[in-house]
Amino acid sequence: MDCLTGQTMKFAIALFSPPHSPSSRRALRFAQAALSSGHEIVRLFFYQDGVHSASSSVVSNQDELDVAAQWRELLTTHQLDGVVCIAAALRRGVLNAEEAERYARNAASLEAPWELSGLGQLHEASQMADRLVCFGGN
Amino acid sequence: MATLHVLSHSPFTDSRLSSCLRIIGPDDGVLLCGDAVYALQQDSALQQTLERMPDSIGMYALQEDLQARNIDAGKRANAIDYPEFVELSCRFAKVNSWL
Repeated sequence: MDCLTGQTMKFAIALFSPPHSPSSRRALRFAQAALSSGHEIVRLFFYQDGVHSASSSVVSNQDELDVAAQWRELLTTHQLDGVVCIAAALRRGVLNAEEAERYARNAASLEAPWELSGLGQLHEASQMADRLVCFGGN
Repeated sequence: MATLHVLSHSPFTDSRLSSCLRIIGPDDGVLLCGDAVYALQQDSALQQTLERMPDSIGMYALQEDLQARNIDAGKRANAIDYPEFVELSCRFAKVNSWL
């Protein structure tokens, strides 16, 4: 066994589902629990519909969990590396200021602490981490 | 290399769980979350299948998803919370999510 319970682990977390899906809430709770248990999160990678959780344009009902806001808070508080797949984000209209200017779009909806980058960042994260945990589907 | 298989789709609408059980290793674990906890519905054929799985295969279900659907973990499965989910993902060498 390369792992004993109680040991500090490095996690990479990948999220594939939109902010209103149950699995994105599970990813958030898992990330919070991992940090509370003293583990490290080397990178969060948001892919496919998961990119919407990084958007600053998402508005939640007041009586509902604001997943996007909680991710932002988690990233900021713990200074986590949050990477959003650039190809997945652009085709869904999630652009940062630089991309909005490049493609002459009238609004940007992705801000720091999030970064747009390529799928290679997910591969690298899986190499850096002891465990890659993916969340998606339902 | 023991693997923790994480399932979140209802086993009554697709074949992820049955595919998983077909290829599962003797020391692997299964974590049911979301609608996948319906696999533990009492007296269903699936619940009986899960109960017949070898003891070496750990069976887990997320407590909050069981509670939300009023399903009992039963004797075979362990109800766990998020810190225990994190601990399980450390204990197993790999976490495979059936997305």
